[in-house]
Amino acid sequence: MDAFKILEIKKSVYEGNDARAKSLRAELGRDKVFLLNLMSSPGSGKTTTILRTIEALEAEMRIGILEADIDSDVDARAVAKTGTRVIQLHSGGMCHLDAEMTRQGLAGLGTEGIDLVILENIGNLICTAEFDTGATKNAMILSVPEGDDKPLKYPVMFSMVDVLLVNKIDAMEFFDFDLEALRERVLRLNPKVRIIPISAKTGEGMDQWADWMRAAVRHCKES
Amino acid sequence: MHELGVVIEVVRTVLDFAERNGVTRIETVVLQMGELSSMVPKYIEDCYPAAVYGTKMQDTTLRIEILPGNALCGACGKVFNLLRNAGGCPACGSEEWELLGGKEFMIKEIAAR
Repeated sequence: MDAFKILEIKKSVYEGNDARAKSLRAELGRDKVFLLNLMSSPGSGKTTTILRTIEALEAEMRIGILEADIDSDVDARAVAKTGTRVIQLHSGGMCHLDAEMTRQGLAGLGTEGIDLVILENIGNLICTAEFDTGATKNAMILSVPEGDDKPLKYPVMFSMVDVLLVNKIDAMEFFDFDLEALRERVLRLNPKVRIIPISAKTGEGMDQWADWMRAAVRHCKES
Repeated sequence: MHELGVVIEVVRTVLDFAERNGVTRIETVVLQMGELSSMVPKYIEDCYPAAVYGTKMQDTTLRIEILPGNALCGACGKVFNLLRNAGGCPACGSEEWELLGGKEFMIKEIAAR
C-alpha cells in the first residue's frame, strides 16, 4: 500500500466562486444584459424598491427579476403582479447566493431580450457580501430604522457596493439617524460609492436612482 | 449557516482537485484561516461532517491552522498583532497601519494517495 503523501493545494476558498462569477460577468457583458445584485437586511424595503424601480423603467427597457429567498414566494408574487418576468429561487437554508446559483436563476428566467435583471439577494448583510454573484454592479439598501452605525458593524458589505440606497427617509424624524455621520462612515470604507437617499414609499429620491440605473444599463449596452 | 456555504465550497474544490490529480483516497484536509477572517473555526469543524456526507471525503479528517492578524505600523515600522493590541501599535500608539495578513481562508493541502 502506498503511503499518504501531502499534496499542496494553496487555493483561496473563494477562488472557485470568484472564477465562476468572473466568467458569468463576461458572458452577461457579451449578451448586453445588465445584472444588478441588490442586497440588504430583511425588511429594509428591497421588494418595494424593486416595484418602484420597475414602474420607473419598464417603459424604456425590458426587465427581469430574480427573487432569492430561503423559503416562500411572497416577493415573487408581488413582482409578478406587475407583469414583469420573475423567477423565485430558494436557497434551501443557505444565507447567500453564489455565482452558480445566480447562473441557474438566469437560465430559469431566460435573459433573451432582457436589458436589466435585478437579483434580490437574501436579506442578510454578512454572507451576501462575501460571495461574488457575477453581477455587473452591486447595490445595497440601508433603511433609516436600522441605524447609521451599520457601516461600523458590517464593513465588508459597505466596502464592496457601487451604490448605497438609504431607504425610508420619510421616517427620518422618528429615528435617531444621522445621514451625514453615515455618509462619512461609508466614504471612509468606500470612497467611490454613490449614496442615494430614497423613500420607496413616497417616491422621494427615486428619480436619482432611476437615472443611475439608466446610465448603468446604457453603459452596458454601449461597451 | 454562514460557514456551511463555504465548507461546501471547500469540499467542491478538494473533490475537483482530487479528480484532476488522480487522487483515489484523501485522509486529511488542511485549511488555513486568518484570525481576522469572518469564519469561526469551531463552526467550520461542526458543519464539516454534514458537508462531506455522501462524498468521497466522508471519512476524511479536517485540520485548521490559524494565521495571525498582523499589521505593519505606518509610523514606526513595527510589526504587531492587531487583535492583541486593539488595533493600535504597541510601540508608538499609531493607528495608521497596513494589514499584512489575517483575512485568509485557504485550502492549504491534503494528505492523500
